[in-house]
Amino acid sequence: MKYTTIILFFLSLSVLSSCTKNTDEFDGPSIKELYSDFKVLENFGANRDSVDFANGETVVFTAAFNKTVDWTLTITGNQSGAVKIITGTSRKLDASNASWNGTVTMFPMFKEENCTAQLTIDQVTDTFTVSEKIISRRKLDGFIIADFETGLLPGWTKFIQSGANMDFQVKTDSIAPEGNSYLNMAGTVNWDYLIGLIDFKATAYGSGTNIVFPLNANPDAVYFNCLIYGMPNTNTSLVLFQFTEDENEDGTFNANTEDQYDYQATVDWVGWKLISIKYSDMTSLVNGQPATPKGNGLHEPNKLRQISMLLLANPSMGFASSKLDLVIFTENGPLTP
Amino acid sequence: MPNKNYILLLTLLLVGQLSFAQNKRKVSFVGGARSVMSNNQLGVADTSGIADTATAKRNSGGYALIDLGVNIRPNENTEILGMFRIRNDFGGFWGAGVSFDVRQLYIKGIVANALRYQLGDLNLKQTPFTLYNHHADNVDSLPTIFRLQRNIVDYEKFYMDNTWRMQGANVDFGLTFKDYIQEVNFTGFLTRLNATNFTSVPERLMAGGSVELKQSQHFKIGYNVNSVFDVLGTIPDSNTFNNSVHSLDAQFVTTVGGQQLEVKAELGNSHYSYRLDTLAPTLQDYFAHAYASIGLPKYHLRARLGYLNVGPEYRSIGAQSKDIDYNAQPFYYERYTNTQGIRPLGLLDVIASDQLYNRTLSSRLMPANNLFNNAMPYGLATFNRLGAYGEVSYQKDIQATVSYHSLREIKGQGTLALRNFSILRANVTAPLHNYLDLKNTFEIQLGGKLENVNRSSVDIVDNLDFNNRQLTAGVRLEVFKDFDILGGLVLNNTKGNDFIADRNTYTEVTFFNEQQYDIRQQLQGAGIRYNFSPKVYLLGMYQQGVFTDVRKQQADYTFNQFNIIYNMLF
Repeated sequence: MKYTTIILFFLSLSVLSSCTKNTDEFDGPSIKELYSDFKVLENFGANRDSVDFANGETVVFTAAFNKTVDWTLTITGNQSGAVKIITGTSRKLDASNASWNGTVTMFPMFKEENCTAQLTIDQVTDTFTVSEKIISRRKLDGFIIADFETGLLPGWTKFIQSGANMDFQVKTDSIAPEGNSYLNMAGTVNWDYLIGLIDFKATAYGSGTNIVFPLNANPDAVYFNCLIYGMPNTNTSLVLFQFTEDENEDGTFNANTEDQYDYQATVDWVGWKLISIKYSDMTSLVNGQPATPKGNGLHEPNKLRQISMLLLANPSMGFASSKLDLVIFTENGPLTP
Repeated sequence: MPNKNYILLLTLLLVGQLSFAQNKRKVSFVGGARSVMSNNQLGVADTSGIADTATAKRNSGGYALIDLGVNIRPNENTEILGMFRIRNDFGGFWGAGVSFDVRQLYIKGIVANALRYQLGDLNLKQTPFTLYNHHADNVDSLPTIFRLQRNIVDYEKFYMDNTWRMQGANVDFGLTFKDYIQEVNFTGFLTRLNATNFTSVPERLMAGGSVELKQSQHFKIGYNVNSVFDVLGTIPDSNTFNNSVHSLDAQFVTTVGGQQLEVKAELGNSHYSYRLDTLAPTLQDYFAHAYASIGLPKYHLRARLGYLNVGPEYRSIGAQSKDIDYNAQPFYYERYTNTQGIRPLGLLDVIASDQLYNRTLSSRLMPANNLFNNAMPYGLATFNRLGAYGEVSYQKDIQATVSYHSLREIKGQGTLALRNFSILRANVTAPLHNYLDLKNTFEIQLGGKLENVNRSSVDIVDNLDFNNRQLTAGVRLEVFKDFDILGGLVLNNTKGNDFIADRNTYTEVTFFNEQQYDIRQQLQGAGIRYNFSPKVYLLGMYQQGVFTDVRKQQADYTFNQFNIIYNMLF
């Protein structure tokens, strides 16, 4: 019995020893990576030298290093000056962290043009570049209200005060953040906040028989987006959007019995900025202050009949100016430019 | 005047009550008293070569305290202990520096002559892998002159063998049988590790228990469980933490050919997780520990051969909490040099500074310090260790022990290559008076520890070679009856390189800091002790701690200290 126990004990030890895990992993970051000099194991490159974004193609940038590094990939449009920035911390650039589908980080948006992709790495003086040609621009997924590429649509109505230096014109120049044209808005109106407005009516789209815009009924899924330009060294402008719903679908809007929701942007930035707001987050405003909607109080984007865009400014401040482009509704998320 | 009358009346009543109580032996007093006076001086060799003018080099201080415990036995099945501490820091004036605390409080007793219970302060331990205070960084064979200071740390922190001081409830009971099984013993406890602040810190409890089945004097087997968990609902966040450990242990004791043989083994696993935190990993792993021990009474020898396997993801708060907190600051000279950088802890701090030590468990993985322990910073429960060890001890008038551990990692740290660990220890305590035919005690202690950690990899950058060499020597000479001269020396040299892991709150490694060492530490002391009784002594001692960083990464310092210590236990 005693000897059996001893034998069993040592047999158990043998079994336990054989149970030891043999692992091909290790804990923590690689010491080799952390404490060796930086080396490029795979040169910086791209999976294609030209890309057709409109057909869903993407560019995958690739590179590999001997250690984990903080890197920044900057893609610049040679003609437009558009910039896309991708950053990461990794040993490799691949489809998981360095794919580009034509989106932009800093406006304007890319055109059909040649681009330069530059890779910079923290604490490494060398930079690495590759060229890429955009054959077609990325399609914007959403319902475009206005991109001003063909001027003002006939179905829109506009009102412009008769102030000084008034300019409510579509312009075509290199400032355009999307396409080639945008709406320029400027003027001095010293007796009223309103400088000018445009009504984007649902009837201006399609065959002209639309009473309402063709939008999703779910207000949590619908996003309103636009690009607004803030002028440097100019008085602050207000861009007010009014969304009127035809709740009873009679083709008209009754301000006393139907809902109007508003979004007001105080243009206190310089350059182009993307504004995005979920339809259900809009409130009703009276003189800039939240108010109770006059209708059923429900956000109903599928009953939206008109969007009015008003450029406002404090009359005592003098000249005000801003620009507008790419007014668009998207679904299930803000616009990805 | 009326107040004086009240005090007199109260005193008389109290004395009367105590006299009555003592006649019935229902009340007794326990406790201790201590007075420490120290004079300190720091010498700094700043790496800049400019004299350190920012640090006050000399200071003195001390305190006197009394722990007065009242042990009350209202009936034969109940015992109540309440201990108060009155402490007065020297230099206090009109009550400044005086503190009055409750040091410990518990009630214990027996229900129906069957179930023992204790409520309040508890000293708990289970097995080395479930709940255990390993004291992993203790200096082996500590000379008596330093051991006296270390005893004060142990007393302050309630270190009793390998227990942890906790607060909660503990019950145990046993069942005896006529046939097949002698007895079955049950133990259970529930303690609080930390209290909730109702906003961000949840109520964290520890619950555990053991069942031990004793088949005979030769064989017993047990099951142990220990679980640390947050109580849901004590804070708004529902992300609760859980660390549970289960183990089975067995022991077989017999005699083989007149030799005493003991075989013991324990096998278990751990689970470590957060309920909702998607960033938190779920860590699960197992451990196995077994040893065979044989005693040769004829030669006063005992030998042990052991096997240890603790998985890389084995986590046990109860067994992996360190007694020393290397992030804590020592009482003296927390900062030094002209830049007032934090002074690195030296041997003198680690041995004698009770401010560095925890009273109870830590709910996070505490940092290790390679200067004092690299191979097994969490004792036997150090995770990611596999190997064997052997130990031979001789216990007669001379007491000697030699042990050797040979271990390796199971999972690489920052590389697939594994670190190898070896620890060779040798300690001897010799009563020379027996051999020199002296009437009074003349005892020497010698000890040594060689610790090596190395890793060899195909990538040179991963390689490491780390050595820690420790030598201790102590002497105790009783020149007259109860009058001792004490001397001691501890040398600790650390040389080589290693990669120190930074760990996040989930104990995952996030970075490795390469560290080069060439550090020499020396602690030497001498003193005179008078023993009033085995529990009461008066000690006058001088000690010097020297910390030298040969690589000049940190400023060298010399810490001189003169102490007068009066210590009493009753």
